[in-house]
Amino acid sequence: MSEKLNQEYTIDRVIHEPARLMITAYLYVVESADYVFLMQNTGLTWGNLSSHLSKLEDAGYVEITKEFMEKKPHTMAQLTEVGRKAFDGYRRQMKALFEDLPEA
Amino acid sequence: MSNRLSLRELEKKAWLRTFEHGLWDIGIGSMFLTFGLSILADFAAFAGIWIVVLMPALRESGRRLVIPRIGHVQFRERRKRAKGRLTGVLTGTTVMGVLFFAFFMWLFRGDTPVWAQWIANHFVIFIGLIWGGALVITGKLVNFPRLYGYGVLVFGSLIITDSFAGYHLGISLSLVGGLILLIGIALLLRFMRRYPRHEAPSLGARDE
Repeated sequence: MSEKLNQEYTIDRVIHEPARLMITAYLYVVESADYVFLMQNTGLTWGNLSSHLSKLEDAGYVEITKEFMEKKPHTMAQLTEVGRKAFDGYRRQMKALFEDLPEA
Repeated sequence: MSNRLSLRELEKKAWLRTFEHGLWDIGIGSMFLTFGLSILADFAAFAGIWIVVLMPALRESGRRLVIPRIGHVQFRERRKRAKGRLTGVLTGTTVMGVLFFAFFMWLFRGDTPVWAQWIANHFVIFIGLIWGGALVITGKLVNFPRLYGYGVLVFGSLIITDSFAGYHLGISLSLVGGLILLIGIALLLRFMRRYPRHEAPSLGARDE
């Protein structure tokens, strides 16, 4: 098995999934965002978003804060320090992986 | 649109979306409109309507119309600093206004040099410079390009006011304000069509 493929196996699969990659990318560029913002920007449904955020939360990458705004439940999501470092690492890995590809 | 995932573009897209609702335009337009109408009606307190009625109404509209549609987001430090600098622009504009007022008080004492009289005769241009400049600087600070256009529009309309004797400052401000207000209303209607309300259930509901 080539060295490249081995490198690919070390990729963080929690972030690597396309929907979670979009969620993590948005949370990386802002400080925190609520569900509606993430739904609008990622195009995910409420259920999908909840499921992916749960996985990110279980991995310790995202912190979910529930609060009440005008008597209505309001949920904010924020990338944790671990999540921010994991996303940085993922970016570096992917960049290295694709930059090492031979010219076509 | 490029399919390449660019974090910078993602952030910019999210930021610009917070200006799509047109409430800024409605606020700026109604401000100039009420200023213009207060000059035309010769009733200065009329301009106070903007602060007392329209400002709180716009803030409330933001909460009721915008957040349920595009959600709530807190941007990172760089954007927060830009918004903080807005206070500086507003303070600067106010100081310029006070200085201009003091200058006019000085003119009324008489015995003023020719250059000062010239400024007094063309005060409308200087008002245009202050307001137009404030809009352009604000546009630059918050990365909101429409404000450049509004700045040029305000300055241009006041140059026209100064060039044509008899063309009233109140009419000029009312027309510019009315135009910006209409643009804002059109943007708000488009925004409401484009983004339906999301009555989102709580996250806890999913787990139960």
